[in-house]
Amino acid sequence: MKAVILAAGEGKRLRPYTETLPKVMLPVVNKPILEYVLDAVIKSGINEIIVVVGYKKEVILEYFKDYNKANITYVTQDKQLGTAHALLQAKKHLKDSFIVLSGDNIIDSNSISKLIEDKSKYSILIKRHSQPSKYGVVFLEKNMIKEIVEKPKEELGNFISTGIYKLPKSVFKTIEDLGSDGIYALSTVIQSLVNQGEEINTIIAESWMDIVYPWDLIKVNETMIHELPSSIGGVVEKGVTIKGDVFVGKDTKIYSGCYIVGPVFIGEGCEIGPNVCIFPSTTIGDNSVIQPFGHIQNAVIMNEVHVGSQSFLKNSIVGRSTIIKDHFSSINGSPTVEIEGEFKKLKNMGTMIGDDCNIGSSVVIDSGKIIGKNCKINSLKKIMDNIPSNTKVM
Amino acid sequence: MKCVILAAGEGKRMHPLTYTRPKVMIPIANKPILEWNLLNAINAGIKDFIFVVAYKSEMVRNYFQNGKKWNINIEYINQGQALGTAHAIGIVEKFVDDFIVLCGDTIFGKKDIKNISNKNPSVGLFKIENANEYGIVKTSNSKIVKIYEKMDKPFSNVINAGIYHFDKKIFDYIKKTKRSLRGEYEITDSINMMAKEKEIKGIFLDEWRDVVYPWHLLDANEQILDKNNKKIIGNIEKNTTIKGKVSIGEDTIVMNGSYIEGPVIIGKNCKIGPNCYIRPFTSIGNGCHIGNACEVKNSIVLDNSNIPHHNYVGDSVIGGNCNLGSGCKIANLRLDKKNITAFINGVKIETKRRKLGAIIGDNTQTGINSVINTGSVIGNNVFIGPNASAFGYIKPDSKIL
Amino acid sequence: MCGIIGYNGFRNADKVLIDGLKRLEYRGYDSAGIGVIGKNLKIYKEIGEISKLEKYIPKLDGDIGIGHTRWATHGGVSKENAHPHLSGNNKIAIIHNGIIENFQKLREELKKQGVKLRSQTDTEVIAHLIEKNYKGNLYDAVFSALKKIKGSYALVVISSDEPDKIIGARKESPLVIGVGDNENFLASDIPALLKYTNRVIFLNDGEMCIIKKNKVKVFNEKNKEIKKEEKLIKWDFKDAEKSGFSHFMLKEIYDQPETVHKVFLGRVSEIDRTITFPEKVENIIQDVKSINIVACGTSFYSGLVGKYFIEKLTELPVNVELSSEYRYFGTKNKDSLVICITQSGETADTLAALKEAKISGCKTLVITNVIGSTATRISDAYILTQSGPEIGVAATKTFTSQILVLFLISLKLAILEKKIGADELYEYILHLKELSKKVRQVLDKNEEISNIAKKLKDSNSVFFIGRGINFPISLEGALKLKEISYLHAEGFAAGELKHGPFALLTKTSPVVAIVTNNSTYDKMIANIGEVKARGPKVIAIAEENDTEIEKHADFVLRYPSNSNMLSCVSISVILQLLAYHVANFRNCSIDKPRNLAKSVTVE
Repeated sequence: MKAVILAAGEGKRLRPYTETLPKVMLPVVNKPILEYVLDAVIKSGINEIIVVVGYKKEVILEYFKDYNKANITYVTQDKQLGTAHALLQAKKHLKDSFIVLSGDNIIDSNSISKLIEDKSKYSILIKRHSQPSKYGVVFLEKNMIKEIVEKPKEELGNFISTGIYKLPKSVFKTIEDLGSDGIYALSTVIQSLVNQGEEINTIIAESWMDIVYPWDLIKVNETMIHELPSSIGGVVEKGVTIKGDVFVGKDTKIYSGCYIVGPVFIGEGCEIGPNVCIFPSTTIGDNSVIQPFGHIQNAVIMNEVHVGSQSFLKNSIVGRSTIIKDHFSSINGSPTVEIEGEFKKLKNMGTMIGDDCNIGSSVVIDSGKIIGKNCKINSLKKIMDNIPSNTKVM
Repeated sequence: MKCVILAAGEGKRMHPLTYTRPKVMIPIANKPILEWNLLNAINAGIKDFIFVVAYKSEMVRNYFQNGKKWNINIEYINQGQALGTAHAIGIVEKFVDDFIVLCGDTIFGKKDIKNISNKNPSVGLFKIENANEYGIVKTSNSKIVKIYEKMDKPFSNVINAGIYHFDKKIFDYIKKTKRSLRGEYEITDSINMMAKEKEIKGIFLDEWRDVVYPWHLLDANEQILDKNNKKIIGNIEKNTTIKGKVSIGEDTIVMNGSYIEGPVIIGKNCKIGPNCYIRPFTSIGNGCHIGNACEVKNSIVLDNSNIPHHNYVGDSVIGGNCNLGSGCKIANLRLDKKNITAFINGVKIETKRRKLGAIIGDNTQTGINSVINTGSVIGNNVFIGPNASAFGYIKPDSKIL
Repeated sequence: MCGIIGYNGFRNADKVLIDGLKRLEYRGYDSAGIGVIGKNLKIYKEIGEISKLEKYIPKLDGDIGIGHTRWATHGGVSKENAHPHLSGNNKIAIIHNGIIENFQKLREELKKQGVKLRSQTDTEVIAHLIEKNYKGNLYDAVFSALKKIKGSYALVVISSDEPDKIIGARKESPLVIGVGDNENFLASDIPALLKYTNRVIFLNDGEMCIIKKNKVKVFNEKNKEIKKEEKLIKWDFKDAEKSGFSHFMLKEIYDQPETVHKVFLGRVSEIDRTITFPEKVENIIQDVKSINIVACGTSFYSGLVGKYFIEKLTELPVNVELSSEYRYFGTKNKDSLVICITQSGETADTLAALKEAKISGCKTLVITNVIGSTATRISDAYILTQSGPEIGVAATKTFTSQILVLFLISLKLAILEKKIGADELYEYILHLKELSKKVRQVLDKNEEISNIAKKLKDSNSVFFIGRGINFPISLEGALKLKEISYLHAEGFAAGELKHGPFALLTKTSPVVAIVTNNSTYDKMIANIGEVKARGPKVIAIAEENDTEIEKHADFVLRYPSNSNMLSCVSISVILQLLAYHVANFRNCSIDKPRNLAKSVTVE
């Protein structure tokens, strides 16, 4: 059986990070979400996979160029015309029933196996969720789908569609019948099938995670970092204390006096220290440098980041290639953040800084604030608002 | 009749020992796993062998050469790419007629090899407790019905032992075999096809020893050393104590004060003592130095390694060309006495052992007074500095200072 | 520079040969052919790529055979000229890499003797000579035939009269024996064999060999059998895949944010503020009084950039020489350090220069991308660019990596000469660490660059101009465009245009001008003005924060501002993408440009 992974989307709600990366390439413990999905699909027994790419596809092609655990075919969705249209691009590579899933949700391989083994013509993985209104909520009747309501305004029901289906080849006819004049989600196609009287069997997924907002990157990091083994590479100088499950990549150097409490992940080619304290559950990407006396806790730090001396980063995200000079402070608190016209109350939130930023000395950023991509903030600034991408704060 | 031994695998789960040698060349009781199979097959009356090699084939070829040392013939065939057992057996087609095949990394006994040689076609079977790690075999009246993939809840505890007897007809089925879900060509699929059309006998084995993770080598080491005989060739000074089944190789010197409790095997050209304590079920390779005030127990030490001064090594596997600094000790028992976990290739494995020291790859050096914790897996070319403490999984080429 | 493979073993020869030829395709690919002895000797040849030959041959029986992929030197590209070539009696088949210098005379002689020649190649001559000398022993026949040959060869011969052996001979073209189990190989290059064996015997000039299924015999030039050492190859040859990119070259351009880091790995420490090379390299750059950089093609241009770095940061005099000219001109001063730059480590011209430098007593350092290559074995020390295999014939990521290695060398020399202190070094290290980001920012502008490329695709010629460090960058930009889009392009120092080349400027010859915000800025603006006055459109490659440039140039492509010296890396990436898109619009065969081969091993 083959699998189709939809990886063409942009993920606008995850800006500024999706201004440089497609959503599927956002890193969770230094591994793109798409890699978790691929690994889970392969572990469930499938080794022929079609990946539909689109937005910033070169990033995906470049990262997976040496990935040879399965046969991967790439097809391109030239315009963002919905998930149904994305699936349609894979039509010519499929002969029989197949699994289709999104590349931006982390799913476990057992759930996929159950879906493969299910004998129904159509099946879907569903999940109990405490906040179903952000997703397609499903209404069941005797374990079959009765209705899918995409992102309802009120809280209704407590099962959501994971967007992972097993479908027969004939579904392409249904997609084509919908016409080419609109943007259709796969859930619309499923609803149309339900309306035609088809039975869609539901299977409950074991573990499924979505990343919707930038701060979700911190939560998912916390969850996934527990699968981390303790493995030390590179050079660890004298006087370094390592406790718990800590992963240190090769060619990384941990200088004297560092105190690292796991679970912590440090990528390859990094320089940490001397005297840097890193607390759970922090992920530091490849080729990053943390200058002396840094205090990093529960943070997601991406590749090629520079964190200056005596900086404090807690419950925060730092995007790729961002340079933060010395004495930086991320204020922690429980702010109310506005996103897409809605207000969300967050707990224990630091700051979220986009890629390619240049932040001067002694800068303080208030909790819950999002700094866009490629921003420049002069020294001694106090940031109390979100900063849009490509802005200079003088 | 020829004996084909599959010796091409890397054995990733045996890392770090297999970074520098193929799995079949890992020594147990000072002989590579492959040599135990070879000797048992020779004792079963076989004289012509074909080794299918690939990964680090030169190590196999340089050691066994053309087989003259044992008065037999050995030929080599390079598998090229790791494409599965059916592919490995398939490439010997031009060289065999009636032949048995055995997986080089599993140890088979000579009586069983003889039994398999007498029945064609046949598949070796074994009864085992934790059958969920292996492929289960369904038989009917001693005939093979089907070999299944490994399953979580196996319906039987009869497994495919990895030893077969075929004739040229198997190649027709091999040619028809398709890639499995893993992407490989499996001989079990070929056998299942053949079983539908021909009678294949299932023969139960008396002996079977599989080694998957490095600490299994300690169990195999124990079992083999137990059957060992006392044979002392080296130079033993007067005031040494040697008890039980101890073998000491040529040109090895055992100095005064050494206390060796068998079963123990020590290779050639070693320097043992003075005043060291070597306890049961220890294998020491060639050219090693176990020095003053050292204690080694239930461990395997590969060639040219030094445990030279004030060291403790228990329940460990030490690679070749390693050097432990003075005072370096390996812990093998947790203070809370719980079972020990180890990490292989980054995956946490419950070893189910109360005592496990360290698994150390080749060319690794440790500084004076360094400490290695229980269940550590240390790669090759690692440097553990003076007074440093190593634990968990340490990647090859790293430095812990 | 052709690719050669021979097989004698137990597997089906056709599969082994085609597989090996695919791995040698980078050596030459205008035509290919194989010869297999099963019940009889069968030859199949086809023009174009190996995949074409593969489709054309039927399933062949036979476990002994030879295969060849051709880069034409004598005689055009045609099926008749492709190898293997047969003797008149069709019993002997040969393949050849090299050039026979006296082949015309030999052709005449053969014609006089009534021999019918089927091709225009020099190679065919050898087949007929072997036939003439054949008295029942193939080896002796080849030996005698070769006595009449003047030139270079890696030659492999089979005969249906002696179907158990392959004869090989080497003179100045590489030939390697692969020692297998129950099978043996001959190849021009190691990657062709690595799938089946890692034991090789390097043949030296003048040596010949007989390859049987289970035995290999080597003979010296006096025809005496000699024992040769088997070498164990530790390379890990991975199949390079395009994986979704439409061309290897595009993938390699996109590799650059990563390859930039790989140059620094293990060498640059930000916290410690040090640049460290392996011991042999550190030893050889001590007490250097002058430097000679020797290279070919794109590597020559990286050498010119290196000269700029070294002379700016230290005060050492640097001479950059073309490898093929080194023997005629290059200073062979014992106090000078000779740095040879060769991506493959096998470029014949550069190897010859390297050998000369060594013989003259100079200290030698090689910058290369291939570990274990010939150059690394000859020189005193080497530095690897660590960029991973580069399959596209036009060099991209290895160019930027070479520049960065040279930059690290200049920094190191500057420290040794005490021309820069720890603080300054630290600033440079920070700039180096930012390079990956800058390259990514350029790659993000891919579409913009593609739009500009559209404007260039129908030009007659394109001129590239720059000053200072941007002069060699212009040369390289022009080379890239030439190589893959077949457009005429030339690079000039901006100040030189008025001394002649202005005459070439017309409306259909756009000019690409590289502009940096430093002391050269005003002069470049003036140059742009002079160019525009004569008709052509000007495309400026300018810094991000350059606000004046729009007033002067017709089109602008921007690169992120950086320490001025290192901007050349971002600018190079722009020019690579520009060339790529122009070639794409012109439907050129980007990864295998016509008439070119990667790793030129013929002098």
